[in-house]
Amino acid sequence: MAAQTEHTDPAAGIDRALTALREGFMARFRAAATEQALRDENAKVLGKKGELTAILSQLGKAPPDQRKRIGEGANALRREVEAGFETCLHDLRKKVRAAELEAPPFDLTLPARFPLADGGHRHPISQVREDVVNVFRQLGFAVFDGPEVEHEEYNFGLLGYPPDHPATDMQDTFWTDRKLLLRSHTSNVQIRAMKSVKPPMAFIAPGTVYRRDDDATHSPMFHQIEAFLVDRNVTLAHLKGVLAEFAERIYGPGTPVRLRPSYFPFVEPGAEVDIGCVFCKQSDGTRKGCSLCKHTGWIEILGCGMIHPVVFENCGIDPDEWSGFALGMGLERIAILRYGIPNIKLLFENDPRFLAQF
Amino acid sequence: MKASYRWLRELLPALTASPKDVNERFTHAGLEVEGVTEYGAGTESCLVVRVTGVRPHPTKSGLRLVTVDRGAGQSQEVVCGAPNVPDPGGLVVLAPLGAYLPAKDLTIAPRAIAGVTSEGMLCSESELGLSEEGGGIIVLPIGTAEPGTPFADAVPNARDTVFEIGLTPNRPDGLGHIGLARELAALLGIAFEWPSTGEIAKTADVDAKDLALVTVEDAERCSHYGGAGAIDVTIGPSPLWLRYRVQALGVRSISNVVDITNLVMLEYGHPMHAFDLDRVRPDASGKKHITVRHAKDGETLETLDGVERKLVADDLLICDGQGPVALAGVMGGASSEIQADTKRVFYEAATFDARGVRRTARRHGMHTESSHRFERGIDPGDVARVLDRAVALTTTLAGASAARGRIHVQGDHQGVEPRPIAKRAVRFRPQRVRELTGVDVPVAESVGILERLGCEVSKPAADGAYEVLVPTHRPDIGREADLVEEVIRVHGMDAVPTELPPIRASRDVGGREELARRAKEICASLGLAEAITFSFTSPRVLEALAAPAPAVKLDNPMAEHQSVLRTTLLVGLLDAIGNARRRGERDVREFTVGPVFLAPNGEGALPDERLRVAFAIAGDRPAWLEKATPFDVWDAKGYALEIARRVSGQPVEIEPAPGAKAPAHLHPRGAAFVNVGGQRVGSFGPLHPDAVDALELDGEVLVFEMELDPFAAGAALPKFTAIPRFPASARDVALVVKDGIPAGEVEAAVRAAAGPLAEAVRLFDRFVGGQVPAGHASLAFRVVYRSPDRTLTDAEVDAAHANVVATASSKFGATLRA
Repeated sequence: MAAQTEHTDPAAGIDRALTALREGFMARFRAAATEQALRDENAKVLGKKGELTAILSQLGKAPPDQRKRIGEGANALRREVEAGFETCLHDLRKKVRAAELEAPPFDLTLPARFPLADGGHRHPISQVREDVVNVFRQLGFAVFDGPEVEHEEYNFGLLGYPPDHPATDMQDTFWTDRKLLLRSHTSNVQIRAMKSVKPPMAFIAPGTVYRRDDDATHSPMFHQIEAFLVDRNVTLAHLKGVLAEFAERIYGPGTPVRLRPSYFPFVEPGAEVDIGCVFCKQSDGTRKGCSLCKHTGWIEILGCGMIHPVVFENCGIDPDEWSGFALGMGLERIAILRYGIPNIKLLFENDPRFLAQF
Repeated sequence: MKASYRWLRELLPALTASPKDVNERFTHAGLEVEGVTEYGAGTESCLVVRVTGVRPHPTKSGLRLVTVDRGAGQSQEVVCGAPNVPDPGGLVVLAPLGAYLPAKDLTIAPRAIAGVTSEGMLCSESELGLSEEGGGIIVLPIGTAEPGTPFADAVPNARDTVFEIGLTPNRPDGLGHIGLARELAALLGIAFEWPSTGEIAKTADVDAKDLALVTVEDAERCSHYGGAGAIDVTIGPSPLWLRYRVQALGVRSISNVVDITNLVMLEYGHPMHAFDLDRVRPDASGKKHITVRHAKDGETLETLDGVERKLVADDLLICDGQGPVALAGVMGGASSEIQADTKRVFYEAATFDARGVRRTARRHGMHTESSHRFERGIDPGDVARVLDRAVALTTTLAGASAARGRIHVQGDHQGVEPRPIAKRAVRFRPQRVRELTGVDVPVAESVGILERLGCEVSKPAADGAYEVLVPTHRPDIGREADLVEEVIRVHGMDAVPTELPPIRASRDVGGREELARRAKEICASLGLAEAITFSFTSPRVLEALAAPAPAVKLDNPMAEHQSVLRTTLLVGLLDAIGNARRRGERDVREFTVGPVFLAPNGEGALPDERLRVAFAIAGDRPAWLEKATPFDVWDAKGYALEIARRVSGQPVEIEPAPGAKAPAHLHPRGAAFVNVGGQRVGSFGPLHPDAVDALELDGEVLVFEMELDPFAAGAALPKFTAIPRFPASARDVALVVKDGIPAGEVEAAVRAAAGPLAEAVRLFDRFVGGQVPAGHASLAFRVVYRSPDRTLTDAEVDAAHANVVATASSKFGATLRA
């Protein structure tokens, strides 16, 4: 009688089926040897046409007062199965990863496959850097290396930046936990060169510099080239001569150069340099003005000046005997102007489709 | 710094240059004009009109119909929605038909407003660009002008040309109009005279020194404290000339006394502060007592901006009898602020130490008009003038009576007059102008330029040198080179000739530029694209790559993912691959050359910056005739080998590093080291799958990284060997060996067994399957035999080659492939 009751009691039937499923699913999951097999097994249990759905399709036959209990039980089971699946998947992947790591090694004594040489590219900043370095090398300048992580005094103090002075605001600097800084310009190399080499000297210092700036025209890491000449009787006219030569070779013959007085703590007199706008140049050599030069016909390209006597003194060089000039320029700006790159960020994303253009 | 052309013209009666010429001249003297705006543009086409009648709009509440007298008997009715239309008799400003108001880009045309046509508009300040806020129409004081007068004539300061000058931090004198006028006069060669500080309208029967007692505790940080006062002050709105003067320069007009302090600051460049003397709390003895002292740790002050500031001992304070009332040189406090009922005003003009003000301003995250000027260095010589000017204006604009005299505290000096400031003397040798600039500026011109800038120049000494006394408003001039700069700046840099110097060439120091260039050239020639990657990364990424812990941590990174410097070059390359793949680009072949930043070698040393080259390749090998297949470890080996070989100019050994020998960031199945001259210089292989997952790279990546510094001296030069004169004999042998025996070992054994006659051994085929038993591979070698001094016989070659087969068989159990 009891057996018959059970047999005809739909609620008990569902309970029994759920219990069987609960007790059986994990073993089935564990038996799966591959991720696909595991997913298939999971689908058999929880899928739209799976066993759990099939069992629950009988719910309507259960007495209404039982349905809520059965439904909650089924949901709990669903969660259990899902958790079991995740555990098994994780374990399986771990096993696969372990097998992968322990597989016999590739025979790297076999001959190499020789690289296919198509598609090599130099980064636009690298190309500009090399061009500028070459111009200065041809004029007799050599390269002096300098560190990117630097002592404060080499980056500021010995260059004549007064402590706690707004001049340091011109360059928002990264500081390290050891009271060093990331150089904010390549001018640190001036100090390193002048402290270690006796004049005369003609050096350039190309390199990476850092400032806390990040927008469409500023990157927290960028590149500069510093050039400096120390000798007897060096004048502002010589600086202008080198600038004119530089402008002719980088921006094309006949590019005019002008100096505008400006301020950098380590030069005196100091100046900013404009060249005739390269975008609105007419065939007759005049400039009609455009949005890139703000309709002035001139674009600013670098800062420069005569090396400040304080800088000489800080490096043990007599400013009455020696004089010199220094100039510094940003390479990104040259690259952006030269190639028409709209946003500085593109230069550092290294998208292969970007690099392939240069 | 915003500069008013109208004001400059007032200060320089001889000025005839147009705004455009002034702009040009300033810019070419190092005071770069970055922008020009027309303040109150449109006011010239507006008229002062008198209200003669006001009636409500027939249908729309809130609107009124205002009849105005335009002068010359003309009258018209306009619709106006402003709440503050004055009663008949009041003066307002009318924009007549056809007037163009640039501030709103509006041309006045007949306009029907709720059924009534209005042929003109009564203007508010915002409609004329005179003020940021709207706030009703302009109502002019009775008597301002006759109806019909153009508004710009009635209130000239409502129309101005304003220069935005990008002052460099060495020119604090340019932060006031007097300084700018002096500069402009020097540039144009016209006369400059200090303006009068103005008439004092009324003087009270009280001395300034009796208004308050002043004590300065730190004469270094406050070398001069000046005070003056006025009583019976009536606080009220400023007259329009003052209102528009300060508003043209971006300062909001508040009240007559506050505007006076701002005007004087904009005029002299010297910030000042006004205290409500009745809100300055007395000390224990009942006296008004102002003390300049350092803060006590933990002391607080609520500044005018409503922020409660926690002070530290380095902050300099102005205190009254009970506590702080101002942060010296930065901002006043709320407690003694000028208010509508203020009756007695105490003006402060002081010389605060630039560095101290800067430290305090930075510490509290404040940047004010005042701190901006003090940080750059105000003129310590103009304190008396500044106070006199403020007091005189207060008597004329606020109906006040001036207290007699002033208070000056300068160290141990206390008095009604200031102790003169000693001027710096600088030797000037006129020939230094030519020696430093290459320009022959006549001596008389050089001296004239310096004098026009405010210097006192002595008679020349016997050696032709002058002694130049530098004015107190030019703290930037400290030595001869500064004077040379002034001369060439004013003379004009266009005069500098262009002359290529005779350069005595230097030699490279360090050699990294050339080393890096070579490495880049090599990589690009192998088909890799150069990436320039950030030196910044995060500790998490370095950890995922099992790279050395960061040696350089930033105190003030811009973002967490840029908080340390890289200890491996791979970070940036893998970033590039991640980005490319997120954008759907699967194939990436990039390299980079740059430094990594490792722990310093020794106490006090800088971080060890090592130049390295690295590549990362991912995706499919470029293919044309055959199906594209993914890059594998032998591709990586090919790139690595070739880069190392070309950079070093030496033989390169690839040392497989399987299993536990693999560097932790590489897959233990495919890792290898790159050795040159017995030294381990790099490694390559597939990136460890855990790192691929951690960096979300979505698929296998092959990486390589190598030191460049060992090759700074350049690639070793090839050494010539004689080209063989006798023919070679080649023999091929295919050896079937068990899987897992490295081909390289078999090759080495073959080479050894072939003996001294073997010139070259080359694996040319590896075959698996077919008739080769399972678990075995067939390795086919070509052995080339040659003697440098004779033609080998077949017998000799066969004998040597027989040994190859025998050795392979005994050593590896190899059989000849059937």
